[in-house]
Amino acid sequence: MSKQARRGLLGISLVLPSFLILVLIVVLPILGSLKESLTNHSGGYDLSNYKYLFTDKLMRSNIIFTLEVTIASTLLVLVISYVLAVYMRFNQGMAVNWIRRMYMIPIFIPSVIATYGLIQLLGNRGWAARILYHFGSESFPRIIFDMKGIIIANLWFNIPFTTMLLGSALSAVPNSVIESAKDVGAGKLRIFFKLILPLTFKTLLVASTFVFMGVIGSFTAPFLIGPNAPQMLGVSMEQIFGVFQDRQLAAATAFFTFLMCSFVGYFYIRSMIKEEGMRSS
Amino acid sequence: MKWYLKSLGPKKIIEFVALIIFVIFFMGPLLNLAILAFTGNWNYPDMLPREWSLKWWKFVFQQEGVSQSIALSFLIATIVTAVSIVLCVPAAYAFARIRFPLSKFFLFSFLLTHAFPKMGLYVSIAVLFYKLGLMNTLLGVILIHIINVLMYMTWIPTSAFRNVHTAQEESARDVGASPFRVFRSITLPMAMPGIIVASIFTFLNSLDEAQGTFLVGVPNFRTMPVVMYGIISDYPAYAGAVFSIILTAPTIILLLAAQRFVSADVLSSGFQIK
Repeated sequence: MSKQARRGLLGISLVLPSFLILVLIVVLPILGSLKESLTNHSGGYDLSNYKYLFTDKLMRSNIIFTLEVTIASTLLVLVISYVLAVYMRFNQGMAVNWIRRMYMIPIFIPSVIATYGLIQLLGNRGWAARILYHFGSESFPRIIFDMKGIIIANLWFNIPFTTMLLGSALSAVPNSVIESAKDVGAGKLRIFFKLILPLTFKTLLVASTFVFMGVIGSFTAPFLIGPNAPQMLGVSMEQIFGVFQDRQLAAATAFFTFLMCSFVGYFYIRSMIKEEGMRSS
Repeated sequence: MKWYLKSLGPKKIIEFVALIIFVIFFMGPLLNLAILAFTGNWNYPDMLPREWSLKWWKFVFQQEGVSQSIALSFLIATIVTAVSIVLCVPAAYAFARIRFPLSKFFLFSFLLTHAFPKMGLYVSIAVLFYKLGLMNTLLGVILIHIINVLMYMTWIPTSAFRNVHTAQEESARDVGASPFRVFRSITLPMAMPGIIVASIFTFLNSLDEAQGTFLVGVPNFRTMPVVMYGIISDYPAYAGAVFSIILTAPTIILLLAAQRFVSADVLSSGFQIK
């Protein structure tokens, strides 16, 4: 056997154990749920579960609600995080130092705890309502058990993470490049659109992929904070499985969400593979 | 007051307002829980509680199963971290240093763990685990916890190994060090910060995992977050707040201890191939 073939074999044998675990706990269950989702109530195979997903009024409103929450959360997270990260990259001072010291904390707080804290803070008799009461506001907007609550929770979970990704990408933009652009007379806006945005565009794609995937399949926050109807698909999936015992429909819902994630993931993987190709050549 | 604001200039004022919003939004929920945990009674609409007390701490620790759940969570998190290091670090080394067929396919396959909705995945896994007899076993719970961390645990060390310059390894080889010796005394120590961050992430993730454990491990394996779900629904907010602090404390301690390793750059490498 040639040396190269031996190295290749060694590579595969190092990767194989973790890949086999992946097959056992992720790939097989996904295939199982695909098969389940195509099974109809009389035991044959057809698309009836998917048809139900798109024709049932409640399920349709759940899908629309989930997409609305996901898209609104993703866009808000990206815009706020980008502004925050760019500001932190190019400014110094007390405020920036404080934010830099604190912003990564939420990434490590368990989601159950954060959601619980948000409920206590923003509930209709929560701390925020109490404080506003002393400033003369009698009524407090309904945030918990509403779409607003889910979006706020998503911002809480995802802004720190996204700011971290973007911050790391922005710190890789060399100061000298920006200085020399300034020297040839480029304005702030021009530097942003011609230099900073293109150099960080890939990370923006990475961030939007993970925020999208995280929000669309989320369970804890919408389960504890969301309204009873319409529901996010993660919550509705759990209910279909746990309360209605309809495994096939739950599987179809899961698989539909997976297809949405695959669509976003496709662009992510394409951009990553391009990068990998450049490395090895 | 007015002249003071004027002397600061608009930029400083905007910065200050942004900082206040940031602190209220991100720290408010946590601060609120910290106050609630030491409250005896807090009537609406008082801004702060009038009665402070430690009685809810006593109450929580008297609950059956709380101290066992803490011990169990740490045991499981330790096993999960050890197992995933053994599984993923060799793979990461292979991705970084060895050219082999289909390496891109293997590398990106770990993204699947994040692409399929967790709830749907857990339901399918439960079906599979029933067939394999893994329901309500320690092995089943550990496998469920590994799902969440396979990706970081592979990608962060991959990028850490890639950042070790091959020139250094080669010069050690030139003076006659064996491949194993080079790995042990050059490659591994230089990639260590990345491996440490990935391990911390894994440990914390396992400590926090609730949904999967609930589905696969109950009733035998009640970890801290599983108990937390029960406390949220059954007891007053004060008890929930106390338990939140107990559940968050290890996270804070571990992060403070590992502060010098945990950087945005290293963490970011867990989500992209750099």
